[in-house]
Formats: sequence, C-alpha cells, structure tokens
Amino acid sequence: MRTRLSLAILLALVSAPCIAQTIQNATLRRAQQAFDNLDYRQALTAGQAALRERLTGYERARAYELLGFTYSGMDSILRGVNAFKQVILLEPERDLDPTKTSSKALSAFQVALTQVLVIRQLHVDSVTFVGGQGVVAVRYTVTQPARVVTRVVSGQTSLKIDSTVASGQVNIRWPARLPSGDPVLAGDYNVIVEATIGQNNFATSLPIRISHGAVDTLPHLTSLPGYTYLPETEVPPKSWRPMGLAAVYTGVALAGTAALSNGNLGSTSMREGGVIGAGLMLAGFVMTLKKPAPQPARGNILYNQLLREQISRRNTEIAQENTRRRQQVALSVVPLPRTGGGR
Amino acid sequence: MKSRRLSGLAVSVFGVLLTAQPLNRLTAQHFSVGPQIVFGDYREVSADLHYRGVGGGAMATVTWKKLSADVAISKLTYKPANDGTATQQFDAREFDVRLRYFISGPISAELGFVNRTAKPEFEAQSMGAITAGAHMGYLLGPGVHMALRGGLMFGPRFSGGGTISPLGALRLGLGLNVDALRGRLRFNGDYDFQRVSRKTNDGSGELPAPIQQSLGRVGIAVAF
Repeated sequence: MRTRLSLAILLALVSAPCIAQTIQNATLRRAQQAFDNLDYRQALTAGQAALRERLTGYERARAYELLGFTYSGMDSILRGVNAFKQVILLEPERDLDPTKTSSKALSAFQVALTQVLVIRQLHVDSVTFVGGQGVVAVRYTVTQPARVVTRVVSGQTSLKIDSTVASGQVNIRWPARLPSGDPVLAGDYNVIVEATIGQNNFATSLPIRISHGAVDTLPHLTSLPGYTYLPETEVPPKSWRPMGLAAVYTGVALAGTAALSNGNLGSTSMREGGVIGAGLMLAGFVMTLKKPAPQPARGNILYNQLLREQISRRNTEIAQENTRRRQQVALSVVPLPRTGGGR
Repeated sequence: MKSRRLSGLAVSVFGVLLTAQPLNRLTAQHFSVGPQIVFGDYREVSADLHYRGVGGGAMATVTWKKLSADVAISKLTYKPANDGTATQQFDAREFDVRLRYFISGPISAELGFVNRTAKPEFEAQSMGAITAGAHMGYLLGPGVHMALRGGLMFGPRFSGGGTISPLGALRLGLGLNVDALRGRLRFNGDYDFQRVSRKTNDGSGELPAPIQQSLGRVGIAVAF
C-alpha cells in the first residue's frame, strides 16, 4: 500500500505538468485522476475506454503508459509489458526515469524493450573536417538482433553507409564520400536507419545538413620558431696586431736599409725611413686603439644561409600544401531538429 | 717661361676637374693623384759627397682588377751636407713608375723603371734602370694600408758611365696610405732606398763608385 502510494505520488509529480499541458481527452484525464487516487480498477476501465476513443499520438502513448503503470502496480506484469510495448512503438525514444519509477514498472518497461524492434537514440555528431580526411560519427541503439541498414538520402541520392546485423548500441564512422571518392555534395540529408527481422521492420531517420567551406591555408613563414638569424659580421676583440705589424714592417725597412747600405758612404741616413716608419707606427697604434672594423662571421653566415634555405624549403612545402588545400573542401555536418519519430 | 705658364694652367684645370667630379662617380673608380713633399739623402762615391735635399713632387696611383700602378715624379734640390766636402748643390728630377700584379695573399709582383736626372749634369750621376721586385701589402685597419717592397734594378745606365754586378743595385721601400673622407682623400707616405754598387774603370782598373739615395715622400691625394 505504501509502495503504491509513493508510486502514485511520483507519477503525479512526473506526469502532471505534461498532462495538464497536452492531454485534452476527458476520459483519459478521468483515468489519470483515478490512477492518482489509487483507484486502479477505475483507472483501467477509463484508460481502456479512452483507447477506444479518438486520441492524438501523444495521448495514446500516455494512455498505454498509464495502463502499463497500472498493470505493474497490480502485479499484472505481462499486461504491463504489453502496454509498455505499445508505448515504445508509439514513442521509441521514450525512457523512464529510474529515480522516479517503481522497480516493477521499470522491469516491465525493460522487458518490453526487448520484445519490440525499434531503433532508438539515433545520433549524428556535429563535425567539421577536410573532405577525405575525417569521418562523421553515427550511433544508434537497436533493441533486438536485426539486420540494420543505414542510408543517407537526399532527393535522388541514396548512399548506403552501413549494413550489419546488430543488437544494442552501434557506432558507424562515415567518411562522407561518394563512391567516386569525392566528398558528398552540400545540402540537407536524412540519415535513415532500417532494422529488419523477418517480416518485422522498423525505420527511423535524422535530418542532417552538410555544408562545404574553404579549407584554411597555412601562412608562409618568415622565421622558424626558436631559431633567429645571427649577425653576419662581428667585431673582433682589440689586439696589438696592427701595432705589431707596423713595427715589423718598419723594422724590416730600417734594418734592411742599414744592412744594404754601402759602408764606404758613411753612416746611413735613417731620417727618411724614420719619418715614414714613425707615421706607420703611429697609424698602427691608432688602429690598435680604434674599435676594429666588423669582420664577416663565417659560421653565422653559413648558419643564416642554412636557416634561409630551411625557411625557403618549408615555404615551398607550404605553397604546395596550400595549392592542395585550395582544391579541397571543408565538410561541415550538423544534425537538424527531428520532425517525426520512427515507424 | 711660356711653357711653365701652360703647365701651371694645365695643373689648375686638372685640379678643378678633379674636385668638380660628382661623388658617386668618384667612388666608382680607383684612381688617385696628388702633390707630395719630398725629402732625401744622396751619397755618391764616398762619404764626402753627401747631400741632403727637399723638394716637391706628385704621385698618381691607379688600380684595375689585379693590376695597379704608381707613378711618382719629384724634384729635389740637394745641398751639400755639413759632414761632406761637396760645395755645389744640384737638382735631381726623378721619374718612378711601378706596375704591380696581385699574386696571392699580401704578395704582388712589381715591375717598373726609375730615371733620375741631375742638374748641373756633372755634379751627380744621372741614371735610369728597370726595376723588378715584390710588394707586400697589408690592411692595417679600416682605410689604412701599409706596404713593404723590395727589388733589384737591372741594366742601369749612368751619365758618367760605369757598370754594376747583377745583384749590385737594390731597392727597398715602405709605404703608408690613410683614407679619409670616405676614401675620397688619401694621405700617403712613401720611403724609397736605393743602393747602386757602381764601378768605373778609367783604364787603371775597376774603382768602386757607389750611389745611395734615401727618399721620403709625404703627400695628399684625391681619390676617385
């Protein structure tokens, strides 16, 4: 009695807003009222009477669901399962909230799921990829082992993308290509999943939109990350080399003069050589003190040359890649809102 | 007198032409010319004939690919030195041409001739000779060049006659060039030492009559 009461309260909480919004049939409302009052016999009578009347699909599903809950509450599991089977056929995506539903009703609903053939939870992921280099993920759940064929249809175009015998959740990876290998044309498509067991079959669909876009091209490089050009000249450290060389040249000239002089002509005049030599020594001293002129840095020049060649080679590859990318299309697949259920 | 005026005019016109050259054209060429102050020491035969002199001159250089040339003219008035016994001064005009061909590294081969004329004619020996040697240049710093050169003088001819042994006439030199005003102006200094082991024979046997000259040149040149 306590269980029934809590079940009734739960049902009232779950279904009351929906019923208040959409149930227009008076008999069905009376049946719901009886169920809420735990008057199961009256609920059954009114519910079955409502099913004989003209109902909307939604009302019919609610009527069978009410019968399913009522039978489950009355421990009439087989009848409850049959009622839930009708609910599932009418609304394949229907699920019961396990936190708000009695275990008897849940188990009856699960049994009903295994006894009808429906495709549930068909879903296509939103994705964008370069044509030929990605896939569209399609997944669904089939309630019974069945031959399941998945097609993508748009007008005259019908592409079979999968055919399998499966039960439970199925995952498909569709490359979105035509048999010729070209990407599928842009437009609105329907993903249709058909399940067949003997004479029994079920089909559901999900609209998707495929659009084409330009593939992003790569920017050309002006530098390689982590590598920078090095200065191609470097100032050598100051040295006494200019002064030393000036001294050597002057010394050689003066010593040569002294050595080559003819002894018969008296002491050699060093005035002329001394003046020029002094000028040379002065120039050498100034050059020693002066900041040396930048000299080509051979290692850096070679490094920069390698870097330039590397960047040039990479840019050539990027140009080729961009040429290829300009001939490609970016496919964008987006699922659209569903307009109807399966049958 | 008239010819002096004409040469002075020619030098003036040449100077104006040089300074009127556009800078971009100047930098594209390798030619320089300019005046020099020349000073020297001259000895002949013995320590008694010792002269010292100062004068003027000019020097022109040209460079083309691996070839370069120096042409120097000078006129000095040599006066007897205090330590000698000579009494008469004389003028020495020297014309010196040196052609160089770059070989490798700092080394260039040098070929040229030198001609020195003394006036009055009998106060000193006039001589001419072909010169050959080597030139070793070095870039001391930005725009500063120095050079050391040495060689032999072949086939000398003397106004007073005389002969030398094949290795009897030697030459040694030291040079300095400093560029200024981005290479448009060039200060230069040049030292040239000549020793000629001349011998004369008046019929009584060979007598040594050596000639030795040290010449210093300091000048400035316009480069273009």
